[in-house]
Amino acid sequence: MENIIEFNHVQKSLGQFQLKDFSLTVKKGFVTGFIGGNGAGKSTTIKLIMNLLQPDRGSISIFGLNYAEHEKEIKQRIGFVFDENIFYEHLTLAEMKKIIKPAYTNWDEGIFKHYVEKFELPLKQKISSFSKGMMTKASLAVALSHHAELIIMDEPTSGLDPTFRRELLDVLHHIMEDEEKTIFFSTHITTDLDRIADYITFIHKGEHIFTKKSYQIEEEYAIVKGGLDLLDQETEREFIAVRKSKLGFEALTSDKTRIKTIFGDMALVEKPTLEDIMFYTKKGAEWRV
Amino acid sequence: MQIMISNHSKEPIYEQIYAQIKKHILTNELKAGQSLPSMRQLAKDLDISVITTKRAYEELEKNGFIYSVVGKGSFVSEQDNEMIKERKMRVIEEQLSMAIQNSKEIGITLIDLKELLTVLYREEE
Amino acid sequence: MYNLIRKDLILLKKPSMMLIPALLLYLYFDFSYIWSGFLFSIVIIMSLFSYDEKSSINTLLNSLPYTRKEIVSSKYIGALLFTLIIVFTIFIGNFLFHRELTAWRDILFIVGLVMGVTSLLLPFSYQFKSKYLMTGILVLFGVYMLVINTFIKNLNDIIREFVQTMLVTQNVQFYLIVTFSIMILYACSWLLSIHIYRKKAF
Repeated sequence: MENIIEFNHVQKSLGQFQLKDFSLTVKKGFVTGFIGGNGAGKSTTIKLIMNLLQPDRGSISIFGLNYAEHEKEIKQRIGFVFDENIFYEHLTLAEMKKIIKPAYTNWDEGIFKHYVEKFELPLKQKISSFSKGMMTKASLAVALSHHAELIIMDEPTSGLDPTFRRELLDVLHHIMEDEEKTIFFSTHITTDLDRIADYITFIHKGEHIFTKKSYQIEEEYAIVKGGLDLLDQETEREFIAVRKSKLGFEALTSDKTRIKTIFGDMALVEKPTLEDIMFYTKKGAEWRV
Repeated sequence: MQIMISNHSKEPIYEQIYAQIKKHILTNELKAGQSLPSMRQLAKDLDISVITTKRAYEELEKNGFIYSVVGKGSFVSEQDNEMIKERKMRVIEEQLSMAIQNSKEIGITLIDLKELLTVLYREEE
Repeated sequence: MYNLIRKDLILLKKPSMMLIPALLLYLYFDFSYIWSGFLFSIVIIMSLFSYDEKSSINTLLNSLPYTRKEIVSSKYIGALLFTLIIVFTIFIGNFLFHRELTAWRDILFIVGLVMGVTSLLLPFSYQFKSKYLMTGILVLFGVYMLVINTFIKNLNDIIREFVQTMLVTQNVQFYLIVTFSIMILYACSWLLSIHIYRKKAF
């Protein structure tokens, strides 16, 4: 399977923050959901993908090309949606389109019009008057109008109402009918990912914890619940992190089958949510310090 | 073809799809050579990820229920003996269940029923 | 890159509806056209710079299929283009209002002055931010005053004389030297800005 994005041992320091020996691959033809807490390095990673930042060490290739030699070619093939407004606020969407359109050799006016109508975007209204949701829709309309093969989105669903979040996922599903397309997007609303993400990439404090197929996660990870009597120093080590209360414990494991053989029927084994995984991983990292 | 998935089931989604398509094939609702929706189309229609439908199709292919042609899509396989057997078994199960139900209604015991079955079975030989 | 200059023209559409009539008004009332030409050109160049200076806009421009070199270069080529538009407006205005042909020497002087000042302003603004320009200019002014008061007491006169000679001299060689030096300065500034901008993080 072809890799659309490849990070090889990338290192990047930004003030206090550091991306350490970061390797990552994003597969062609699939949706990769990018999760991690605040300050985990999601935006930094996306900026590195977009060449808004350059790595201190290591290499990055997009479509198998490097930015040093193929910057324009790569960016012709990327559609992007950022968390913040990146359009000129005092212009209208129609004027903004006039600025962006000539930058792309593959601009398709028909698609742009389709999305403007679908999203009910006002063309003649100043962008400064747009709500957060309209802004995302406008960015999305622009991002989808030049037949981009790779769609990069930084927190596209934050600040959107649930109806539009569903609508957005439908749009993404529609894009993914074409196997040549790849989507990579960060989010902290992990329920968005259940319906669309093929791969989940999870980072924590600048470190790549895992990239897994979405169904793989529920095969490997599990939330385990049981009485405190089941826990001792040895069994506790089997978990990523444990939360104890008077009533019992709850813990996360990344080896469901092993836990099942250890505890048998004595513990309750449940499917974890992505939030569970994020929460316990963070807790586990604090533990081991 | 109808497929219904539950997000709240313990069973993984790809297994739900696998089981339902398999059932459609075994009950002959999907006939040999018939094409299946593309996995991307199916993912969109079911509002799930492509990799989930991909996994379901891979399992179906591995177990010989479907085959895929590059660039054309996936099709229901010509069923081999194993599969026909499995389908027949299903029918037998259903018919026997009905017989059991009827027996219960008029108070025929398991022993009586077994005896009847043995007699009928021998007569056919 | 041509598209980036076109983008600046779109951004200028509204402000120019104010600027051009104002410039014509200045010309009509016979305000020094050399200084108004210089002022208007610098205002346009620097306001276009400040539009693009926000980190969100840098994110946009750098995510579009442009290289950083092109983004900086568009500013330098655009600056020349917009100065020429202003000079052309002055030429037309002078001809319409006063029935006079603007001396080529004055035109050259405006363009040279704008290029010289832009050469200093742009790298400074790329390195720091244009909002620190005022501080920079004040510091420069302070240094200038210090120089006048302590080292070269007649610096003001020297400059005034220099400008005068430059505007009246017929010495072609002198013009060539000045023109050439400004072009070199402009080119160096251009390269310096590319170098500064290339290392920026957004």
